Amino acid sequence: MPVTRAALDAPSRAALRAILAVRPEAQAVDYPSLVPERGTADPPLLSAAEQIEAGPMRAVPVMDPVVGFSAFLDGTQNARILAWVEGVPYVFGTAAAAIRARRDRKLRTWETSPPIVQRRLYLPRAYASGFESATEGLDIVDTTAPELGSIPSRHPAALLERALSCLQHDRERLERAQVEAWVAADEGVLCADGSLPDRGPGRSSPRAVGAIKSHRTLHADGVALDVVLALRANERSPVFTVAGSGRAPVASWYVRTRDRAGRDALWGLVRLESAIVPDISARADLVSRWLLAENAPLALPDTRWDKMTYGVRDCESFLRAVS
Amino acid sequence: MTNVPLGRVVATERRPNTPFEFHFWTEVTSPVGIGTIVRVEGTHPVDGAIPSIYGVVTEGFSYSDLDTPMHDVLGHDGSPAHPGFAATERAEIRLYTAAVLRQIPDEPVQPVPMGAVHLAEEEDVAIALRMDSYLRDETRTAIPVGVYRAGGTEAPVYVDADFLVGPEAAHLNITGVSGLATKTSAIEWLLASLFAHFPEDKGSVAAVCFNVKGPDLCYLDLAGPLEESDLALYERLGVPPVPFPDVQYFAPYTARGFALNTLRSNEALLHNVNALTWGLREVLQFAEVLLNRDDVDAKADALIDFIRENIVDQPFEDPLLSRPHKVESFADLDAWFRDLLQGMERKNSEAWRTHHVATIRKVRNRLSNISTRCAGLVTDDGSVSDLPFGSFADRAVYVIDVALLEEDAQDLIFARVVSKLREHLERRDLGVNHVVVFVDELNKYAPSEGPETYVRRMLLDISERGRYLGLVLFGAQQFRSQVHRRVTGNAGTAMFGRTDADELGTPGYSVLSHAVRVKLSALEKGQLLVRHPHFTQPVFVRFPRPPVLSGRAGVERFPQMPEASAEAAVTRSLRVLDPDITLEWVKEHTALYEEREIIRARNATVRARPDNTKAFFLSQFRRVVRAEAPVPRRPTPLRTPSSDDPYSF
Repeated sequence: MPVTRAALDAPSRAALRAILAVRPEAQAVDYPSLVPERGTADPPLLSAAEQIEAGPMRAVPVMDPVVGFSAFLDGTQNARILAWVEGVPYVFGTAAAAIRARRDRKLRTWETSPPIVQRRLYLPRAYASGFESATEGLDIVDTTAPELGSIPSRHPAALLERALSCLQHDRERLERAQVEAWVAADEGVLCADGSLPDRGPGRSSPRAVGAIKSHRTLHADGVALDVVLALRANERSPVFTVAGSGRAPVASWYVRTRDRAGRDALWGLVRLESAIVPDISARADLVSRWLLAENAPLALPDTRWDKMTYGVRDCESFLRAVS
Repeated sequence: MTNVPLGRVVATERRPNTPFEFHFWTEVTSPVGIGTIVRVEGTHPVDGAIPSIYGVVTEGFSYSDLDTPMHDVLGHDGSPAHPGFAATERAEIRLYTAAVLRQIPDEPVQPVPMGAVHLAEEEDVAIALRMDSYLRDETRTAIPVGVYRAGGTEAPVYVDADFLVGPEAAHLNITGVSGLATKTSAIEWLLASLFAHFPEDKGSVAAVCFNVKGPDLCYLDLAGPLEESDLALYERLGVPPVPFPDVQYFAPYTARGFALNTLRSNEALLHNVNALTWGLREVLQFAEVLLNRDDVDAKADALIDFIRENIVDQPFEDPLLSRPHKVESFADLDAWFRDLLQGMERKNSEAWRTHHVATIRKVRNRLSNISTRCAGLVTDDGSVSDLPFGSFADRAVYVIDVALLEEDAQDLIFARVVSKLREHLERRDLGVNHVVVFVDELNKYAPSEGPETYVRRMLLDISERGRYLGLVLFGAQQFRSQVHRRVTGNAGTAMFGRTDADELGTPGYSVLSHAVRVKLSALEKGQLLVRHPHFTQPVFVRFPRPPVLSGRAGVERFPQMPEASAEAAVTRSLRVLDPDITLEWVKEHTALYEEREIIRARNATVRARPDNTKAFFLSQFRRVVRAEAPVPRRPTPLRTPSSDDPYSF
């Protein structure tokens, strides 16, 4: 697993001091590394989806861009292995989420729901003694708690995988809380980075739209896949539904935001998610126009700038600064 | 003090803060710029006190979140006009670097902490520039120099009189390109401010200004036009917007000797224009100003010294001379030389009192030449008209107009006037306690390179020792880098107007940041960068137009009078003393005399300023017996011879 060396920040140092207070024999890691997020190695997948927009499976041209998004949401997470005790990784994770609202063409942190930054120690209590009771200065997440399912083996990689899974859930929870706050406030439409929350009002409200840049799973197959991959700039696919296990279905469609000439097949391809509304075609047209309006300014120097909106990048920069 | 911060201190490992410099960022729309004074409020107490740090912005940066400019090109598809509108403005930063002016508490000296940055208000400016120490009522020595303006803050900036005219430090040096109304205007304004605010308990002060070019200083007693903004500045700084009430002008005569050699020759302005003339004694004291080292070797120097000590102004006899001499003028001296050389020739002698005949001839040649080179200033007859050494008036300005003179005469005037000022100040009998000497074109008079001259030595002497005497040099030049370092270095206060980029590229300006130098190169009229011993960093200030008529306007309003005939010149001079005198009266009473006699009488009258001008003027002439027609004698009639005596008569 590739790691990135980074200097230990103040919260991580405090957590390490707390760990060493309980387990003096803990072997501190000389160069605590950022651990990459899970899922980057998920296998590519094609998943046929049910089209809900009337008409044939074909590319739909999108009209001129128009500004529609009022705010942007993104969440971040990072994890560091601070110490190893008897082969058990002590993972210190930070999850954060923030909404940046647009006022007068400038992005500002949304005052109604301030950004949330959560720092926790992800620890398998089943294998780590001494942390049974609350420890001062540490917010501990037991990665072997019964409600999380079966206890993983003592394999360090399995324990690390479980810790990262817990961290990801925390990040998703923070994002969901932010989306719900936005939906309740009724201040326009929010563009969230990634899928809509798996449940709650954020999934069913038209005031939130998800913009997915990663296409490990393509929701198309056969003719639909041909249409999606052949989309030209300013074209969208027909609307289909996406649902997960136990999740309410949402409307989704692909939009090509940039000319892919000379680029790979997924260049500039964004999948949008929105609550299902009666006139879904009009909704898809309008939201697509909103997305195209975010083509400028470019999200450079982020490597995913072809699919990323500048607002989402701004959220990431902001969270990097505060978390 | 406002509680709304306009920036925040920021530091990174690559760009850390130090005790003397810090960085902060602001909103894009903040009013901060180069030269803005800010206050940082620390967040953690040090020795029980929250530190406050004052700084002046010396550098500014702006950048966006782009990695390379190429990304912006891509974002606009290679065309600046496309797309014309982006839904969101790209994030950008205004990052400033500030030099620390002051930390409170002063100890311990620590790097500037993180904290909120506020725009300095008036009281902050006073603290930041350490002016609070001399603004207290009981020990006030503050002289307004201008107004600091930034972001809605307007605060007077003061210099300390103790550091401007001594004794702690002294002297002022101002640099700026010519023609942008900076150097002379600033000096005139500062003199007005000094006269208005010089503390009573520090005694009296006067100014001696050398007008070395153009008519710049020729109208200091006449009001010039001031705009509303200028009047507001005068009121803010507590300086009356009026011209100098007591100004005396001095200028030598022209070579012909009829009129004074000054641009202030208009008849309407002659009431306070005085002649500046010196005789042999005055000039001999400063002979070395006019004689270069090649001329005056040890032997010549010895002869000049002998003449000064034993010949001038006292009866002198010698067997070699044909008659007793009393040398009081250049004419007398030349007669003495002529008599001496003739005596040596008669006796076929090669030396006289150890002085070789060649040395005598050389010294005669050089000294006689002086009256020619400095015609109008040096009189043949020994008459002296000088500055009122011993009776200088408080808050008076004495302008010596040397703009139209040859370089030698300028040097002689400068050397003698400054020497006399120094002598009188040493004896405490000048009439005032402090004298400000203003000299423009220091490039010329105290150059950093070139041969050693008497004038340069004198300027160095004032710079280094003048403050103990109350002799203060206000110097100006276009190129500070070309002025002797000991002159500029000893100036406690330095001012910079708009300065040429080439000049700013010289090493002397390296202490200024790049941004400050760029700002200096494009500084507006009426703005100065001021460095003062109390200020840790130089600050930009605005000053009003001086309350006097500018040289250009003065010349247009009071055109220079052409040099007239001897009678007209005499009439013009005498009418200042007695308005009843007419050209006809002068012609009637001078018709029988030679020009030189008329001029000599005029000069004597102007010097004496008698109650009865006409009578005094006429008394200066030698008595001339009026020519009378001879009474024709009647011819004696011939006797008639007797007709009968052929031998009778």
